[in-house]
Amino acid sequence: MEDSVVLRADSLSKRYGAVQALKNVSITLYAGQTHALVGSNGAGKSTLVKILTGAVVPDSGTIEINGKPMPVGDPRTALDAGIACIYQWPNLVAELSVADNIMLGHHPTNAFGIVNRKVQRRWVRNLLEKHNLQLDLDAPVGSLSSVQQKEVEIAKALSLDASVILMDEPTAALSHSEVEKLFRSIEQLCQQGVAVLYISHILDEIFRVAQRVTVLRDGQLRLSAAAADLTKASLVDAMLGRELSSEVGQAKPQDQVDRPVVLECRNLNKEGVFSNISFKVHEGEILCITGLVGAKRSELVRAIFGADPADGGELWLWGKQVRIRHPLDAIRLGIGFVPEDRHQDGLFMQLSIGLNTIMSSLNRVTKAGLLHPGLMRIAADEQIGKMEIVPAIADYPVKNLSGGNQQKVQLGRWLMGNTRLLILDEPTVGIDIGTKASIYRLLRDLASNGTPVIVVSSDIEEVLTIADRIIVMADGHITGTYVRGFVTQEQILAAASGEMN
Amino acid sequence: MDSPTSSLRISDQSRRGFAALARKIIGQYGLLIILFIITFAFSLLRPAFWSINNQINIVFASSLIGIMAVCSTFVVLTRGIDISVGSTVALSGLVAALILESDGTLFIPSILAGLAASAVVGLANGLAISYLGLPPIVVTLAALTIVRGVALLIGGSILHLIREPAEFLFIGGGRVLGVPFPIFIFFAIAALMLFIQVRTQLGLTVFAIGVNERAATLCGLPVRFVKLLVYLISSLGAGIAGIVLASQVSTASANYGNALELDVIAAIVVGGTSLNGGQGSVHRSVLGALLIAAVNNGLSILNVSTDQQLIAKGAIIVIAIVLGYWLQEWSERL
Repeated sequence: MEDSVVLRADSLSKRYGAVQALKNVSITLYAGQTHALVGSNGAGKSTLVKILTGAVVPDSGTIEINGKPMPVGDPRTALDAGIACIYQWPNLVAELSVADNIMLGHHPTNAFGIVNRKVQRRWVRNLLEKHNLQLDLDAPVGSLSSVQQKEVEIAKALSLDASVILMDEPTAALSHSEVEKLFRSIEQLCQQGVAVLYISHILDEIFRVAQRVTVLRDGQLRLSAAAADLTKASLVDAMLGRELSSEVGQAKPQDQVDRPVVLECRNLNKEGVFSNISFKVHEGEILCITGLVGAKRSELVRAIFGADPADGGELWLWGKQVRIRHPLDAIRLGIGFVPEDRHQDGLFMQLSIGLNTIMSSLNRVTKAGLLHPGLMRIAADEQIGKMEIVPAIADYPVKNLSGGNQQKVQLGRWLMGNTRLLILDEPTVGIDIGTKASIYRLLRDLASNGTPVIVVSSDIEEVLTIADRIIVMADGHITGTYVRGFVTQEQILAAASGEMN
Repeated sequence: MDSPTSSLRISDQSRRGFAALARKIIGQYGLLIILFIITFAFSLLRPAFWSINNQINIVFASSLIGIMAVCSTFVVLTRGIDISVGSTVALSGLVAALILESDGTLFIPSILAGLAASAVVGLANGLAISYLGLPPIVVTLAALTIVRGVALLIGGSILHLIREPAEFLFIGGGRVLGVPFPIFIFFAIAALMLFIQVRTQLGLTVFAIGVNERAATLCGLPVRFVKLLVYLISSLGAGIAGIVLASQVSTASANYGNALELDVIAAIVVGGTSLNGGQGSVHRSVLGALLIAAVNNGLSILNVSTDQQLIAKGAIIVIAIVLGYWLQEWSERL
């Protein structure tokens, strides 16, 4: 295959408020090649994808497609120029048929604007045959497997004559065997001369599928090379950097197991979600639960907190069996929970920092049955100071804060109460590197002062940085338990993709 | 918008200077300004509008809707709605009247029974909405027809006269220092609700639910219980209004209170409480009720016919809402 350039993006930069999401990143895609874009969460991958699809306007930089400059920041232009994107989660209408989904938005119509089904069927069948995709044209998309849905999306992209297809973590919702099938589809695409940008942080996939690799970290290009010239080790070095790991105080991992058990889960079950979950959390430790998307980690911690209670199994807290059917039960027992989605589940965006911080410990600011303004102010100021929230104004609305400060408000809320066990679900998603480090420090302080912390995270770098012990889940089961220092990234990834250790 | 943050104000660093202060006042009290403009306009057209007596009449006329509106404000703040209040007015007045019909000395029991009947409606609404998770509009729509049906069942379609006792007739018809008694009831309930809103966990939880119900649940706030309470309060407000109305006109009928829920919601929304929840205040509903009553009164004094009055009233409500919203936006822009 000849090396003809399809897309050339030159020195793209994008800043969101205080966060430089992308800085001078250039990337070139060749026809018939798969180019892997790698980096941990917050490295700037999705910003780059959004710029290429026109969803985001870069502050500077240019994009050329097939040698012609493309105006940036317009999704329609990008689509017309032949750039299609397949997102992590299927972007399909479950109730419509495969053929309808593929042709959605550009159905062949007759003079009256009515869809000509016959023409549509013939057209779609030809398209699928040409690209060797085997799909039932009439099946509703909702009835298909995850990998078949991905194929529908690929077909949809092809139906628009896409010459560049971006795939944002396409294997996130797929099982191990389905992944291989997807790779074969990608190879097919390349043989047809399509350029694929494959975004992932799973190293094995990258070496399996990509000819070229570009690594982003903190919004900057760290490495761009042919896959054949790289080793896993060099890739990991480029991805992780080493500054972060020295930021956080290290506790000796082995002593924790001897400490008193705070929480013990015995055979937790939830029909169709997770089963047979047993683990212990010891005083003073940070336990990370990791795994791929769909491993049911969030569901597990939400069950422990009582937000979506488990069907079966036992929870033991400080040696006593407890029943947690509602978040109120958990909070009374001293469990705090920082949910993954701070907009939907965590914060009261229109309310002030002060009110947000006191919301789960109203009894502490109540005197004689009435809210006490003085106590409220003191309590809020204390947390704002302790968390170093900027600006340090209790009346300031939370919606105007940066993501990192919003996360600090959530943390402060639980540190104000009598929290004796803190659970955090993806605490650093979308948060800048500086705040990340200070959140890690806070969690470590909390743990050293006796309060154990459970962190759900899909960021392997984060897990390896902060965890004393690591639990890996896949498909609702625990597939591995490790102690920090005695595990490699590869072992975690293997367990996460469902291989029992 | 108003939020309970006022009790948590530390410093107002964002706004300084006279212009900023003016903006803030207009944002906070824009509704009051609109009320003054309307009053001024009507007074210019008909000086009689301006008389003390007529002003008292306006407040008096607003008191029925006002009582219901301040009690229903929490429902709207939690992103709910209660359209059963009109029927509940009829039910509570009727229950009280029937008891007095059997024995004219049962003053206190008649009031308690009327309130109890409305409380049953509120509990049923609240349980269905908070514990069964049914949509408020559907539940209270069902309650609207069921309660009206029950009222017709126990009272028939006839008027029930209330001749005694004098205490009962005083509630709606009496005067203290020349001011009609229902005005005192209205202001007392409004003050109580405002106090609950600003100074109690219940009030704060109402806002929390309205802004983000899922977060409120995960914070350990008693979301379901509070939602039950707000519907109970709303129905109790209607129950009180029902008794005030029965006393005022010394009759009760299953047909009273028809479509009153629309005036109540109009008062709340004109006041500036958002139907999307989380934004608004009890004191705004007071102003909303006053504004609607002023418009009604002014149009009557101008001898506008009923059909034209209805049209004009609708138009003025929309204008007041839009104007209030603009003033708010403008005062928040810096």
